[in-house]
Order: sequence, then structure tokens, then C-alpha cells
Amino acid sequence: MEYLFTIWVLVTLNFFLPRAMPGDPFLYLSADEGQEVARFSEEQRQYYLEYYGLDRPVAGQYLSYLADLLRGDLGYSLYYNEPVSAIILRRLPWTTFLVMAAVLLSTVSGTILGSLSAWYREKLLDKLLFFHLILLSEVPAFLLGLVLLFTFAAGLGLFPLSGAITHFASYSSWWEKLLDILHHAFLPVMALTIARLGGMYLLSRNSMTTVLEKDYLRTAWAKGLPQKRIIFRHALRNALLPIVTRVFLSLGSLVGGAILVENVFAYPGLGHLMREAVMVHDYPLVQGIFLVVTICVLLANFLADLVYRKLDPRIGDYSGIRGG
Amino acid sequence: MSRKWLSIALLLVISLSLLLFGCGTDQAGDDRKPDGAKGGGQQPVEMIRLAGGDWGYPSPYAHYPRGPGIFKMGLIFDGLLERDEKGLIPWLAEKYEIKEGGKQYLFTIRDGVKWQDGKPLTAGDVKFTFEYASKHPMVSSYIGAEDIEKVEVVGDRQVLITVSEPNAAMLYNLGLTRIIPKHIWENVDNPKEFTKPEAVIGTGPYRLTDYNKEHGTYRFEAFEDFWGPGQRVKVIEFVPVSEEILAFEKGEIDLAGVTPDVLPRFQNDPQYKIVVNPGFWGYRLLFNMGEYPALRQRELRQAIASAIDAKELIEKVARGAAVPGSAGILPPDHVMYNPDVRQYDLDLKKAEELLVKLGYDRLDQNGIRQNQSGEKLSFNMLVGEEVRLAEVLKEQLAKAGIEIKVQSVDMKTRDARVRNNEYQLAIIGHGGWGNDPDYLRERFAGRSRGGLSPSASGLRGYNNDELNNLLEKQRLEMDDQKRKQLIFKIQEILAEDVPEIPLYYTTGYNVFRPAKYDGWMFMFDHHSLTHSKLSYLERG
Repeated sequence: MEYLFTIWVLVTLNFFLPRAMPGDPFLYLSADEGQEVARFSEEQRQYYLEYYGLDRPVAGQYLSYLADLLRGDLGYSLYYNEPVSAIILRRLPWTTFLVMAAVLLSTVSGTILGSLSAWYREKLLDKLLFFHLILLSEVPAFLLGLVLLFTFAAGLGLFPLSGAITHFASYSSWWEKLLDILHHAFLPVMALTIARLGGMYLLSRNSMTTVLEKDYLRTAWAKGLPQKRIIFRHALRNALLPIVTRVFLSLGSLVGGAILVENVFAYPGLGHLMREAVMVHDYPLVQGIFLVVTICVLLANFLADLVYRKLDPRIGDYSGIRGG
Repeated sequence: MSRKWLSIALLLVISLSLLLFGCGTDQAGDDRKPDGAKGGGQQPVEMIRLAGGDWGYPSPYAHYPRGPGIFKMGLIFDGLLERDEKGLIPWLAEKYEIKEGGKQYLFTIRDGVKWQDGKPLTAGDVKFTFEYASKHPMVSSYIGAEDIEKVEVVGDRQVLITVSEPNAAMLYNLGLTRIIPKHIWENVDNPKEFTKPEAVIGTGPYRLTDYNKEHGTYRFEAFEDFWGPGQRVKVIEFVPVSEEILAFEKGEIDLAGVTPDVLPRFQNDPQYKIVVNPGFWGYRLLFNMGEYPALRQRELRQAIASAIDAKELIEKVARGAAVPGSAGILPPDHVMYNPDVRQYDLDLKKAEELLVKLGYDRLDQNGIRQNQSGEKLSFNMLVGEEVRLAEVLKEQLAKAGIEIKVQSVDMKTRDARVRNNEYQLAIIGHGGWGNDPDYLRERFAGRSRGGLSPSASGLRGYNNDELNNLLEKQRLEMDDQKRKQLIFKIQEILAEDVPEIPLYYTTGYNVFRPAKYDGWMFMFDHHSLTHSKLSYLERG
């Protein structure tokens, strides 16, 4: 019920916010430098407004939008001339793939490096890692992307310059295609991973440091437990909690986070699409993308709850007590 | 202990780098060599690649309303006329006749033209197209619902179009409307949603063989039964690029737009050829004369024009890649450009004289001019992303005692406010300056009936009867030479009146490898090499 109400509020905001922007989708007086825009006569503009029902009272538009939404119809894009759901469905996997890979890599390597740092706190390794990762994390992802693009793709020619796949290629097997996709995704994923690595590293370093000083760890040492068990069962498991929170929170920004990197590598994701949709006032598409993002965030919250319960038995216990 | 952790980290690094190099060798053989020897003549090439990106399904109704979408559609669909370097040339119509002082157009349709599905093109298709396009405007539309009175098929090869009112630009508008097959479109009610494979069947030189929306790729193949000149390029592929210049240097694409900063990389190298675009894309400084009576004073506008140093604007903002605006509006590359109109070179003395004459004879403590009743020469200037341009302008006008407050908003907001006359001064930029000069009427006739953007609201607060008469006269003048004289006169009046100031027309550079392909040309009214259909065809 709560979730439903949240969704309704968001859907309503999604509907009215884009329409509050000045101008309409068919008003073009100007163009980006060097760009040519098709001429829209006043007559033609009226025709399109009517065609898409944008000349009707806003309340009526809102109601029919809600009705369509209930039937699972996200509408028809004004600019891209395609059903919104089809546009999103074909791009979402690319962005998801990019971001998931980056989240996974940055989390795993960030956690490992952070733990290392915490373990060797104040020693040379810690200082080196700390300095370099902080430095790296201050570089924005798109700049990193550009650097990677210029060195590894343009300079060394190890990777393709752009896109997600070799165009017009025919593959002899599925793994060849997979390899091609991985090859294309490598640099964008690296850019995103490195950009996130610093944050993850700091978080896990802090978290691990705190945990390592806890009494129960001293107890574990005193009990003479094997080192492996102490690190993985006692220290890391507790240190992981804030990291997991961070990962799930960042899932919400899934679409937005990849925009700049997608732009740098001309990668076919949702981020670039979102920017375009807002620029050209493509109401149905803007609504559709925001709705998908909303659902992603809610889903991530839900998942976070589940994982938390698994990871931290205390939470389950409390709710059990409350419930009983 | 520490060794263990280290070895894990090391393993990670090694496996990553393995992946890196493993992938690297994979693509090593991908370097494509430029084929063929350099030479004259018109050798055909197997394939060229150009910068892609998604510009929509290339049917006349589904592509996006942007240049790259329009021309891709144009590779598949023909008009009755086409554009070469000098003007309109016969295309699907082998000849045409203008009758009744511009009220009627008789087109003779070429024989033996085939649609890409094998059916023959008929005069019925042409009639159908104009009727359909009047009802459902195409994305890149040249004709409105009211423009055409009726279309008749005469005999089996001729089409007689009667227009609502004579207009010299009508030949261009009718001629460039893309002809669509009746047998495919006659039952389509929602043309914008019609994106089946049949929707991209035209009579043009290229067939669409592949389109991927999310990757932004297109592949066009020469249509074997094309009626017209042979295709010099057999296959055109559009692929997305991240950095156009990098992609060009790596041979991934065969033509690239170059900014002045990287031009030296390609200069003095016989491998490359650099071509300068004609200036058909320009920035305009608009005056809201309807709401602000002060701006109705011609001398004030002239003074502003005299205080602007277009050369500095071009140097500082356009990095040299532009030509100064002509006070007569039409750019120097326009076929009807009048080179003898009055121009306003930087002349602060002149500006001062004019302003003093208007009564703005004293300066306040900030150096802003004002008149006896304390009215200051201070204006808001509405811009989109052209902040740099606006800031340089602000400095220039400050020297003449005119204060400018720059207000920057997003593009759509600026457009909406200009349209609704909610501004004092504004800068907008757009293309199409090479088009039929009838756009001068749409911009400046005080009693314009709306017409096409970018002057949808008509120009309020400005009315010059002599100009209006001339603008009306040129519309009715079907003789090109006589019309040119009228357009020359119109430019003279505009240069005196300064109802707006064209700041500069951007040019820009293209670079390509002539050894790979050298068929590039500009249409007489357009600034892009790749957008011309004839760029890909054999030339007679």
C-alpha cells in the first residue's frame, strides 16, 4: 500500500514536471550550432499537438495517461516515433550491464583494497593505497573515460573507439559475440569502476578499521580462532553492512550515473536517451524513463531489505520479536 | 598473511591485463586500408563509412526533425526536383512548366522509374503524395494543408498542381517534397507510427538494408534499378563515433567535421583534403520592437550595429570559422546575396553620433548612456547556450555606453520566450539561411500571416510599406532574374532599417581522404557535404 502511494505520487510528479517546462515539443526556433532543424510551420505544430492529444486540457491528458499506465501502456514517443516501452526495453539492458559490472568490480576490488589498507593501517601499503585511490576518486568518470579512450583505444588501439558491439558483424558463435560485447564494454566499465573505486575503498577501509577495534574481535583472537575465520566470519561480515547499503543506494542512480560515460563512448544506454528526451520535451519518454528509474529505486530498497536480513541476523530477530 | 593478500591482488591485475591483451590481438587485423589509387575520373568505391547515431527510421514520417535524419530519408526517397551546386535540377520530373503566373505547375514525370519493390512510379503516386502530405505533414515538410488547391493527373505522365496562391518559393517546396508510393501508404492512417519495412521503399538511389536504433547504425546499399545517375558509392554505413576526429584518423569513418583548433593536424598533408562549409548557419540578434518602443528607433539599432565588432566575435567565439553577418540578412554564399548593401563595420564614433542625436547625450557614473529624462540604454539579452557570444557582445556594446544584462536559459525556454515576445534583445541561431529568399518575407513582413518558424509570431512593432510591397512583389515574380533584382532591393532596405542583426554565419571545416572518396559536393543552399544526394552519385 505504501509502495503504491509512493508510485502514484511519483507518477503524478513525472507527469506534471515535464509539462511545467516552457516551450513545447514542436516549437523550434533555434538549433545547436551547425545543426539543422526541420521547419515546423504554425499549422504543422497545431497538427502535431492535436495528433498527440496535447491540445486537450491537462486534467484529461493526466487521466488518460493514468488509464494507459494501468494497462501497461507507456505511450508513444513524440521525438523517437516508437512506443516508449520498446525504446526503454532495448536500451535498459546495456545500461544495466554497464553499471552492474562497474558496481560489482568496484565493490569487490574496493572492499579487498580497503580491507588490506585497514589490516596494514598506517603502514606503507596503506599509505600508498590511500593516496592513490583518493587521487583517482577525485577524477570525474567522463574525464577518466576520455583518458582511457585516448590511451587504450586511440593510442594503443587495443579497444574499439565507441559503441557496444561491432556493427554489421556476423558472429559464428554466441561466445564470439559475447567476447565482442565484453571487448566494447571494457573501457566504459573500467572508467565507471575506477571512478567508484575510491569511494568504495574509503568506506570499506573505515568500516573494517572500526570493526577491527571491536571487543568481539579481540575475543575471537583470544579464543585462538584461525585467522581466516576471524577475517571472513567475524570482521568482514560485520564490515560489509555499510558497504551493502552503499551498493543498493547507488543502484537507484543506475541510469543517471552512466550518462557521461555513455556519452564519451557513444554507448547505447538509457542515460544519454534521458538527456535527449528532456531536451526535446518528449513527455511520454521522459515519463517512461523516470517511471523505470523509480521502480528501480524501489526495487533496490526492497532488495536491500532482503539482503540485510540475510547478512545481519539481528534485524530478522528484532522484527521477529516485534511481530511476535 | 600479507603475501596471500598481495598474491590475490596480483592475480587480479594479471587477469585484467590478460583480458586486455587478449582482446587487443582479437582486433589487430581490423585496420582497413584506403583502397584504390588516387586519381581523377569517377571511380566507384565499395563502401564508405560516416558518423552515425540514431536519427530515426528513415521514412518521411518517422525520422527525427534534424538534418542528419532528413538526408538519410532523402537517400531513399526522391523529389520531383533535386539540388545541385547552382540550383534546382530536374529529378523525378524530367521537366516542369509554371503556368498562370505561378498559380499552376505542370510536372512531367520521368518514364521508367521503379520503386524499390519493383513496381513502376506513376503520375498517380505523385498526385497521391501531395494530397497525403497536405493531410499528414511530413517531418521535413515544405507544403502546408492550405497550400495546394488541387492536384490533377494529365495524360499518363503529367501532374498539374494548382496552388492556393502564387509563390515564387513554391517550385522549391513542391520539388523537394519526397514522393511516396500510393500502393503502400494509401491505407496508412497513422504515418508516424508506420515503421514497417515497406515504409522505407522509395525510388531513390539507396535502399535501407540495416537500421539499429539503440546502436545508431544505418546501412544503405545502392538500388540496382535506380533510374538516375550511377551510384559511385555502393554501400554507405553509418556507425556511432565517440570522437569524430579520432574515428577519422583511425580510418573508422571517411569524412569528419573539424574544429579550427585541430585543423593543423590535417593541413599540408596531401593525404587529406580540407573543405570549408558555406556559411548557411547563423546567429541573429533580435530586437523586440513590439513591446519596447525605444527599440523602434532605427538610429538606435544602427548604433548597436555600428558598435558590434563581428570580426572580434568570430575570432573569440567561433575561433575564426565564420563570416561576418550581412546587414542585408542574406549571407554572402546565398545565390541572391547583394554585395553592395550598406554594412556596419565597427565604428564607435558613428554609434556615439547616432545615440547623441537620439538624445542619449550624457553618461551616468557607470558609463551608461541616458537621455534627459533619465532613460538609460540598458537592455536584457536573452540567450540559450550562447553565453560566450553574449558576454563578448556585452563588452563591445559597453564601449558605446549601452548596458547589456545577459540572461541565459535553456534552449526551449529561450525559444518559447522569443515566440511569445517575452524578451528585449535575444540571440538565436539556426540553419536554413541558404534557402529560398522568401524567408525574408516570413521574417520581416509586418503583416505576415504567421508562416514558418523562426518567425512564427510575425515581426511586431516594425512596418515598412515599401519593404512590404517589395516582399509581396518578389513572392509573385516567377522570373528568376527579375526576382533577384527585387531581392537585391529588399536587402538594401533591410540594411538601412536593421530590423535585426545577423551576427555571423558559421562555416566550419570538413576533412576527408580524396584517395578513398572524393565525390563530395555542396548543394547551392546547404552547408553539409554529406547531406547532398549528389555527393554519392556519378556526375555528368
